[in-house]
Amino acid sequence: MMALRLARPEHLVDLNGVTELDSVQAIDGLLRIGAMTRQFVVGADSTVADQVPLLALATPYIGHFQIRNRGTVGGSVAHADPSAEYPTVVVALDAELEVSSTRGTRRIGAAEFFEGPMMTALGPDELLTAIRFPVWAGRSGFSFREVSRRHGDFALVGVAVGIELDESTTIRRAAIALLGVEGRPRRAPDAEAALVGTAISAVDAGEMGRLALKPLRATDDIHASAEYRRRVGAHLVSQAVEEACRRASEVDGD
Amino acid sequence: MTDHDAAGGGAARFVGQSIKRVEDPRLVTGHGRYVDDIVLPGMLHAAFLRSDYARARIAMVDISRATAMAGVHAVFTAAELNHHVDSLAASVNPRDAPKTPAHVLAAGDVRFVGDPIALVLADSRYLAEDALELIDIEYEPLTPVIDFESAADSVDLVHPELGSNLGSSVSSVDSNLSAVFAAAETVITETFHQHRQCNMPMETRGIVAHWEPFAGRLDVWASTQSPHELTATAARILGLGQHQVRVHMGDVGGAFGQKIFVGREEMALLLAARDVARPVKWIEDRRENLIAANSARVDRVKVSMAVNGDGVILGAQIDHLTDSGAYPNGGKPASGSNMVSMFPGPYRMSNLGWTTATVYTNTLGRGAYRGPWQMETVARELMMDRVAAEIGVDPLEFRRRNIISEDELPYTTATGRVYENITPSETLEQAVSMLDYEQFRIQQSDARSVGRLLGVGISACIEPTSAGRGALGSEGATVRVERDGNVNVFIGTGSHGQSLETTIAQVVADQLGISMDSISFHQGHGTPYGFGTGGSRSAVIAGGAARAAAIGVREKILSIAAELLEAASADLGIEDGFVSVAGTPSRRVSLAVVANTAYSDPEALPDGIEGGLEHAARFQAPPVTYSNATHVCTCEVDPATGLVTILRYIVSEDCGVMVNPMVVEGQIAGGVVQGIGGALYEEARYDLDGNPLTTTLMDYLIPTAAEVPLIEYGHIVTPSNTPGGHKGVGEGGAIAAPPCVLNAVNDALACMNVNLTHLAATPDAIVTALAAALA
Amino acid sequence: MVVNGAEHVAAVEARKTLADFLREDCLTTGVHLGCEQGACGACTVILDGQAVRSCLLFAVQASGSAVTTAEGLAGADGSLNVVQEAFRECHGLQCGFCTPGLVVTVTAYLADHPDPGRDEIRSALSGNLCRCTGYQGIIAAVEQAAVIAALQGGIS
Repeated sequence: MMALRLARPEHLVDLNGVTELDSVQAIDGLLRIGAMTRQFVVGADSTVADQVPLLALATPYIGHFQIRNRGTVGGSVAHADPSAEYPTVVVALDAELEVSSTRGTRRIGAAEFFEGPMMTALGPDELLTAIRFPVWAGRSGFSFREVSRRHGDFALVGVAVGIELDESTTIRRAAIALLGVEGRPRRAPDAEAALVGTAISAVDAGEMGRLALKPLRATDDIHASAEYRRRVGAHLVSQAVEEACRRASEVDGD
Repeated sequence: MTDHDAAGGGAARFVGQSIKRVEDPRLVTGHGRYVDDIVLPGMLHAAFLRSDYARARIAMVDISRATAMAGVHAVFTAAELNHHVDSLAASVNPRDAPKTPAHVLAAGDVRFVGDPIALVLADSRYLAEDALELIDIEYEPLTPVIDFESAADSVDLVHPELGSNLGSSVSSVDSNLSAVFAAAETVITETFHQHRQCNMPMETRGIVAHWEPFAGRLDVWASTQSPHELTATAARILGLGQHQVRVHMGDVGGAFGQKIFVGREEMALLLAARDVARPVKWIEDRRENLIAANSARVDRVKVSMAVNGDGVILGAQIDHLTDSGAYPNGGKPASGSNMVSMFPGPYRMSNLGWTTATVYTNTLGRGAYRGPWQMETVARELMMDRVAAEIGVDPLEFRRRNIISEDELPYTTATGRVYENITPSETLEQAVSMLDYEQFRIQQSDARSVGRLLGVGISACIEPTSAGRGALGSEGATVRVERDGNVNVFIGTGSHGQSLETTIAQVVADQLGISMDSISFHQGHGTPYGFGTGGSRSAVIAGGAARAAAIGVREKILSIAAELLEAASADLGIEDGFVSVAGTPSRRVSLAVVANTAYSDPEALPDGIEGGLEHAARFQAPPVTYSNATHVCTCEVDPATGLVTILRYIVSEDCGVMVNPMVVEGQIAGGVVQGIGGALYEEARYDLDGNPLTTTLMDYLIPTAAEVPLIEYGHIVTPSNTPGGHKGVGEGGAIAAPPCVLNAVNDALACMNVNLTHLAATPDAIVTALAAALA
Repeated sequence: MVVNGAEHVAAVEARKTLADFLREDCLTTGVHLGCEQGACGACTVILDGQAVRSCLLFAVQASGSAVTTAEGLAGADGSLNVVQEAFRECHGLQCGFCTPGLVVTVTAYLADHPDPGRDEIRSALSGNLCRCTGYQGIIAAVEQAAVIAALQGGIS
């Protein structure tokens, strides 16, 4: 943005030296990741992979490894590009954003945080300091899928899915979040509701795709039309739901 | 007369070998010298203010605040610069070619988004760009002409002084054609579109210029393909003699045609340099390169093709329209003459009627881009598949029935081109054999039964290389042996990735019997006139000149050595820098001794031989030297996402005797991947108001390593009629690849009743077409 | 900042990019600007052991760090590192403009991934654009460099 002379901040503060913002901590049923934690760390860390698999699944889709070497999870979330991967995971899991200013610290829920393309609920004097990701205990499976023009490009459309089963094969919890369709990541409550209480074998993945996209108003841009995003979004939802269900069913119930 | 062994007696030790490049040690270690690496004392940095509107009057432009800014040395507008330049025409343009108006900087109105309006010179590029923000400008927007298909009829004029948006229009009626069409079993008509693409070299344009008034000398460093064109243009617009201009050729980061002519920004920089009499530097940034350097390939062709009941092509009518943008490179609108005359390609096509026209629009000017006429291959090869499908014949079989074979040569096309020493049929057969076409068809059918869409595409082309007419007709080279026996080669080329530093050295080393380490290669200032490097001409024409110059020196070396060794010239050979008597290796003399004799010991020279040891030669090329290729590729299309994966990509190429097979394959690969980019990924887009939408490399998408297949090569060697037997090859990949890929995509989608006639075949285009076909 | 082993001390404008600082103040002009937007990879350098886009960093952000450019990968005696040698052997360059960024990227990549498969290589290279070679020679060079580096006990 600055290179294109579109943004001209009067003061720029480099957070790279604030080492306490670079952290991964497991705290009562959640994983708290500091905003300055590098994307490549998030993608490679075994605790992250174990506790919040969606983050590990999403990370390889972010740009190129040179970008992930410097890019941070907080940077991605605060920048709020509608095609970005981490914001979608935040929304899928109803993560909480920890936000600080001289006035103190507060938490913002994922549903309220993303307001539009590149727009968040962060106040002008606030800094995103950490993200608290809920950990899905129990038999859960996740899938992250996206379509881009070339390897590493911004996604045209993508989806993050989490499926949790009960002791047998019935879905107890479902989360579906879409990126690249609207100006911010969107959940699919109708599809999620339809999945809860359904046995895996009875899931109509194609119908879930249709239900997920139906209420959304997709955007047109030079890389893909709104119609493309709807059709392919639905396809990705169905693929991701199938994959997440399969992965969930492969987990030993215990 | 063909002469493709090493005439003059030099053994072929290097030509034909994949010699590792001389250029590489400095380039892989970051020690190349590109124009932005040139730093001169007191150098000023330039930035251009550019139009935000596609068409508008400039109601007011006020440079006073910018001029007053600390660190700014000068600000120029049309008022200061334009009157020096009465023509933007390249020095090699035909005299009667139409001319684009000669506005170096926008004067009173702007004609495309990115049109340069003012030039700032400041202590740094950062400051120069800061100063741009201090230029006050008011526009009165006008209705722009953006759609090239309606431009000719528009009342809005891109260039009011020309009175029309039509740049040129030429046609040729084939008087047999209507009878042929009437009698034909089948006549099929289809219209194909190719979209706007950008050359997008990794190095943008750039120039450093320094006028020294007391020396009466202009020094220029530039990212250029043609140092001599730059010399001529600089001299012309500054009112200097060409002898006062020194263009220094360093390393150039690619061009593909973008840098063969001198652009308006470079002209403005040269004029500014003369004004400030200090070194000035302009380095284009990527956004500027994408919106203001040049674009290419906006072509539409309507083809009507007649075939008989045996699937033999009887004739065709083609109607071609191309977009020249506002300021086409080289100062003249695009010409479709190569496009129409190459349309028959490698097939028998006895009758051809054609029209070709170009229009101006308020968009980025058209420039040469690797095989600028290639729409002929795009349209023809797409049409071959279209017709084949219509008449129910496999596209390979249809081509086999029509492709020219070796025993028909020389073959004269309906457009008067005479083909010889080419192998279209042979390359077709080699390519499909490398694929195992029949086996692929079985694989395709099996895949379809499980819902996977695979496809195969073929594209055959003939490439007119090494055009040898007028100012392009020859190249010159001087080969000089220095007093210590090492060699300097001076040649008028502008190698910018073509490896000429290596391949020319291979040619010279073979003739002189020396190692490649003994040769230094020079381009730019001090070299004989040459058109530069482009148009797939350097192997034939520059190589021919280097060879002739080296042979001339060799003869003199042998004459002098014969005197020193008291032997007959005919009994002497040169090897590893020593001239020796055949059969008596101990009777020998080093090149250093021969050279020393030539320079310092005139009494020892044979009668009739002057001192010195160099030879200048000019090689006159035949009007054209044809090479040819067939490309075959396979792909898979995901119908749910429209993503295309290329599975195999095969090129069977005949470019005659290869100087360096490694270099040849590299040239083919680069062109193929640009063609893949054009078929699937690259689109330079404008909105309806003429605003460019693809202004960064995240929008203009060139293939990355993850998108390209492994390219497989088959080589057929049919020597040309030129010394060495070489042919050009640089552009062929980009000519044949786009329709090869689109044919494969269409072949995959044929079972879904989809046939695309527009490039690019983007995921969106494919998904949309599939949905429409199902509806 | 230590650049290719040599210490550099300077006062620069806050907005000066690391790429411009390296080119202008440290004279490592092998760092090339292809887009200044982080998309092309020509400006890639190694910063404290990681491959990064120098056009997306301010020089001051790298204060106190160690930077290696393509110039620094070659030996003091002019010998090429294994990656540079492989690029030459395999015709992994033509105009050379993308090459320093690529050589740096590949050196950094192979240091962390000494035994990559072809598809992994293609993914790893996807952040470096090349317009001349069609990537054929580049992919071959990475494969060759990996093999030779393994024989030599790793990328040094």
